[in-house]
Amino acid sequence: MGGPDALLAARLAAGDDHALVEIFDRLAPVVYGAALRVLGEGAAAQDVVQDVFVDLWSHPGRYDPEAGPLRSFLTVLARHRAVDLVRSELRRIARQERHFRMAPGHPPPSPGDEVVAWEAASLVRDAVQHLPGAQRRVVELAYFQGLTCREVALAAGIPEGTAKSRLRLALAKLETMLDRQLLESS
Amino acid sequence: MTTLPHPSASGGLPAGMRERVLAASWQARPAGQPEPEPAEISPAEAFRRAADALDGLLATLGDDDWLVPVLRDLDVQGLVGHLIGVEEDVHRCLSGDPGVADTDHVEASQPVAARQAGRRAHQTRAEWRRAVGRTLDLVRARAGPPPGLASPPELASPSGVASTPELALHGMRLSLDTLLVVRAFELWTHENDIRQAAGLPLAVPDPSALRLMTGLAAPALPLGAARTGLGPPVHVHLVLTGPGGGTWDVVLGEGGRDPASVRIVTGTVGFCRLVANRVAPADLDLDITGDRGRAASVLAAAAALALD
Repeated sequence: MGGPDALLAARLAAGDDHALVEIFDRLAPVVYGAALRVLGEGAAAQDVVQDVFVDLWSHPGRYDPEAGPLRSFLTVLARHRAVDLVRSELRRIARQERHFRMAPGHPPPSPGDEVVAWEAASLVRDAVQHLPGAQRRVVELAYFQGLTCREVALAAGIPEGTAKSRLRLALAKLETMLDRQLLESS
Repeated sequence: MTTLPHPSASGGLPAGMRERVLAASWQARPAGQPEPEPAEISPAEAFRRAADALDGLLATLGDDDWLVPVLRDLDVQGLVGHLIGVEEDVHRCLSGDPGVADTDHVEASQPVAARQAGRRAHQTRAEWRRAVGRTLDLVRARAGPPPGLASPPELASPSGVASTPELALHGMRLSLDTLLVVRAFELWTHENDIRQAAGLPLAVPDPSALRLMTGLAAPALPLGAARTGLGPPVHVHLVLTGPGGGTWDVVLGEGGRDPASVRIVTGTVGFCRLVANRVAPADLDLDITGDRGRAASVLAAAAALALD
């Protein structure tokens, strides 16, 4: 019947609720810890843990026991989900900042939002420092100063098409660096 | 859902998180339901597929192969004769003949099995095939065509396997759907008897048919326990792994307030072969939690479900 994880995977696929409970009791603290290290915030980390276990139960075939231990699979999944949360939070913040600039009368973000935003933004700011100068410049203009692509192009003295391509390249590098940084920190 | 294991190591987690995550999980997919769930087929379709598989095997046999001893004192031809006899009893059963209600499954078919001796193999095969066709015709006639349709459709979904008993055959009281799954089970079992005698690899039903077979056998464990005399009650958490599997919670035995608990995990095909009494529990790949003696009784109850 294979090793312990292969047996657990087979039991999950067979709809064995006891198997999920056993896995939760054994690995949830580790999964929660992995999410918490990335997010630094309990409520969001709990959401990640729920996502991870519901996903494991709903799609047990996504875990391949031959590819590695269940513990590694779940913690990596938790980190990825947590990184995704950070990214979506960053996008939300960027949208919000742009919106505030366009509509100054809009109510400010709540203290909770600001804490999460600060944590997420600090990760990104660190990563941005490692970009080449020209790319760092367009990211700072677009995301930290909230300029449109056309405004970035004007401010940097480059054609709009160049600004867009530098921004795309920078974002791709940032995602890679962010993943590595988050994985190393957890 | 069953009583879940007591939390043992949720230390370090926020209060209520365990319950919240598990509740969300059960909502996403009910306990007991396999993933992936095989496509649903009707019991009539499962029977038809089992008959086609056996017929396909018979078509490949040479004349000498039909004389190979298979089961009890039957060679291949005699075993197919047994199946003709059973099918004839099914016809009588479906026609409402009470004479087959309590006859013995093996003895009742013995005259038909015996009369195959000396016949040409293709005659026996053709007679069995006709008998199967007649069964399917009777089943369709019993289902009746829905209004406005010229031709009868397939039977209802296999959810009807546990429906009200309405038929009486060979000491069993069962619904039409259950009868058809029992028949599919028997055809698959005898197909493998012949394969084994001929030195051929064993056949495995498709996941949809297996799901019907496990869905029939697992809840029927109390019936097997009644035959073997299990004794004090035991709560069985049965997990059948692989295509066509699933998870069942069944209580066997009677009396007592707190039944013992046993968890048995094994492969779907092996379990079905156990139910057909074609393998011993020792031949199975088993993962047992709880009293092993009680688990052995449960497995004996599974083997007692066999018709032979």
